[in-house]
Amino acid sequence: MSQWRDLVTASLIGTERVPVPVAAIPGLPPLSDAPPGNSISDITISDNLVDAAGELLDRAALLAAARRAGRLAEEAEPLAVAEADPGPVVSPAAGRRLARIIGGENPDLLAEWLTDAIARGLRAPARLLPALLDRARRVSSSDPQLRRLAVQAGGSRARWLAGLNPDWKFAAAPVLTGEDAWRLGDNEDRRSYLAALCAADPGAARELIAADWDAAGRERIMFLSVLADGPGGLSLADELLLEAALDDRADEVRGWAAYLLSIVPGSALGDRMAERARGYVRLDRSVRGPRLFVYPPGRYDDDMWRDGVTPGRGAGGAPLADGARVVLSVVSRAPLRVWTDEFRMPAAKIVAVRSGDWAPVLFSGWARAAMAQRDQDWMAALITEALTGRPPEAPTEMAVLRQLAREADPVLGAPGTLPDPEPGAPAALYDTVGVLRFRHDMLKELEHDHGPG
Amino acid sequence: MLALAPDAPSQQAAAPLASGRAWLLTGASDGAAVWGECRGSAATPYKTVIDLSGPAYRCSCPSRKFPCKHVLALLLLWTEGGVQDEVPPGWAAGWLAARAEKAQPREPGEPKDLKEPKDPKTALKRAEQREARVATGLAELDRWLRDQVRQGLAASQKSGYRHWDDIAARMVDAQAPGVAERLRALAAVPHSGAGWDGRLLEEYALLRLLALAYRRGEDLPGPLRDTVRSRIGFTIRQADLQTTGQPVRDHWHVLARRDIDQERIRTRRVWLRGRETGRPALVLSFAATGLPLDDRLIVGTEVDADLVFYPAAVALRAVVLARHDTADGRLPPGGTIAALLAGYAAALGADPWLDHWLAVLAATPARSPVPCLFDATGQALPLHPGAGDCWPLFALSGGRPVTVAGEWTPRGLWPLTAWDEGGGVVPL
Repeated sequence: MSQWRDLVTASLIGTERVPVPVAAIPGLPPLSDAPPGNSISDITISDNLVDAAGELLDRAALLAAARRAGRLAEEAEPLAVAEADPGPVVSPAAGRRLARIIGGENPDLLAEWLTDAIARGLRAPARLLPALLDRARRVSSSDPQLRRLAVQAGGSRARWLAGLNPDWKFAAAPVLTGEDAWRLGDNEDRRSYLAALCAADPGAARELIAADWDAAGRERIMFLSVLADGPGGLSLADELLLEAALDDRADEVRGWAAYLLSIVPGSALGDRMAERARGYVRLDRSVRGPRLFVYPPGRYDDDMWRDGVTPGRGAGGAPLADGARVVLSVVSRAPLRVWTDEFRMPAAKIVAVRSGDWAPVLFSGWARAAMAQRDQDWMAALITEALTGRPPEAPTEMAVLRQLAREADPVLGAPGTLPDPEPGAPAALYDTVGVLRFRHDMLKELEHDHGPG
Repeated sequence: MLALAPDAPSQQAAAPLASGRAWLLTGASDGAAVWGECRGSAATPYKTVIDLSGPAYRCSCPSRKFPCKHVLALLLLWTEGGVQDEVPPGWAAGWLAARAEKAQPREPGEPKDLKEPKDPKTALKRAEQREARVATGLAELDRWLRDQVRQGLAASQKSGYRHWDDIAARMVDAQAPGVAERLRALAAVPHSGAGWDGRLLEEYALLRLLALAYRRGEDLPGPLRDTVRSRIGFTIRQADLQTTGQPVRDHWHVLARRDIDQERIRTRRVWLRGRETGRPALVLSFAATGLPLDDRLIVGTEVDADLVFYPAAVALRAVVLARHDTADGRLPPGGTIAALLAGYAAALGADPWLDHWLAVLAATPARSPVPCLFDATGQALPLHPGAGDCWPLFALSGGRPVTVAGEWTPRGLWPLTAWDEGGGVVPL
């Protein structure tokens, strides 16, 4: 080894400054004694190219080949072995789909893939865990849920990997457990604790939130989102807390509370919204067919403000600058039953009624309401109308349609259910059909597992 | 335009020539090419031709500067509108056509004229000319290599890639593209971390060994001579190979695949191993950058096929002559590190330039003292630093043994494929 080092050192300095070190090659006679015709150095002699640099290179060539051929194995420090995972791995097709999603195809469907896999007790394939953890690390600020889902779907192998790479330390087993997480943990720890409690005992979770509400400050939004994500959804039992939150000073908290109350079936806020909605939107049944007329309110009052209906920034009490904005927020928070009851028509018929310039506002409002209230009937009606009736035109409609495709029952994506968009249709329509079909296939693939391993 | 000039004197020398009076003839075609004949000190005028798409250029003057003053002057003249559109003369048209053809994906060094010259005498003469060019080029390379060692390699760390590109370009002119490719790759070595000096010396030493081996010509044993010639860049046409080579039929398991992006060309290396013969095989394919590579050999499959091997001291490179059937491959038997090193050592004995070798191991990845793989006997080999973190390999293993296929190189093992517990193939 040191002979090689000597040659390298001499070559670094240059043979015009230092002599060529003598390097003996194991198994070969010393260079100077080598009989002709027996080693590479003969070539140099016979070709009259003997010089120090050439000699050094010849010796280096012999040593290089000898070193490569004579290389010895080294030693390693084995890693701890990962705990075995009891759950089976998803099917190969589901694994390929996950790779596509992580690779950037419909990336926003990752949470749905993971949620479905977890619900079925399946694991993500080991080979994809590094990419999955990287993805979860990157999006954490915008979607704290994804980290939890990634870790859960990754199982013990993901936790083992996280121990090897500091970038993934969020996936290592949580240090704080039980009430310590609530008392001493950071926002993430407290969220996990509350979510677990909410799943096990919703009543206890509500009491905990009520007890901590006054001191919570910005955490109130986290409390509300945990409540909303609870396994049973929201119920009238949550109404008291949410109604109180409507009087919060922070706009964001009020907005959340109003949104959540609009989801609670039978809430007082829902009734108030229904009342407003009936006043703004009227059905006219003329001989030329039904038509919807919209009458935005002339004044904006404190009750509307409390219920989260905001016509825009700083417009409290002033004449409405933007009637469309108010109509949109009322329609999106009113229980959808108000329309079917009032007009005595099914959703599919209502969404097809002409409404002139108001059509984009009503479409967007109904779509938001359908998603918030998880009403599959309305979602299907709106998607079908966009594909076969009036095509969407306003940017808000396009955006809301893309969202619908991600929230609606993926059975709509089954072959033959939805028509292909007309040639030249807006990109949002292609995207909607594409996403629904993607989700349909994705969930089908997750119905089967790959067996352990 | 003058930014192309290699130095300030070239710019100054070009200026007077750009007046147009020195040129006996000039012409341009569709803004794609410019050519001209310029009166110089020699009896015949210098012929200059420029492909504007490159830009690439050729001039018959003896100047060793690239581009020479004639090229610069002609470009200046052209940008100033001093060149009319013309039909290119034969000498310019020939070079331009050859360049256009070269733009097609082809194996580096493959002969430009794919058609057999009709006249055997012409063919012989052409072959002799190439041998003479290669011999001159390799003698020049030898001088250059010795100059490096004489002056000391320490300076290499400050040299830009031009240092190697220039000598590589001369090897291209000398029709030794294999050598040129090795030289171009060396530009990265001085910045490859600790031990770069030793790696550079190894490469220089092996290049000189190649130059000297070529000079021995017919004195070398046939297979070694084939190896030397193929490493220099002499190619064997696939058609010839198919008529002369002995096909080897086997169930070839496609074990690993590695794509290498070079400046203008992408190379795909596909490693196979015969089920009955146990023999490794390497199938190469090439594509211009941005174009798809040959996808017919899919990792994880087992192909019942006739392969023909290129003649070499270690016959590794092969082409698929005929495919009979394709099936899913099973988990390949993974070997030990001792067996891998012994196999590589034996191959090196026959071909000292061999720096990629198929590795199929049953081994466990570890991260300490360096990222590595160790086998059941506890022996370990490092992973190639260029292969990155190899997280998917670690994720698959979970600290347990896995079957891994990859390339063993003097810098370490480059993992390319692993098999999960269920026997599923996972390209890494």
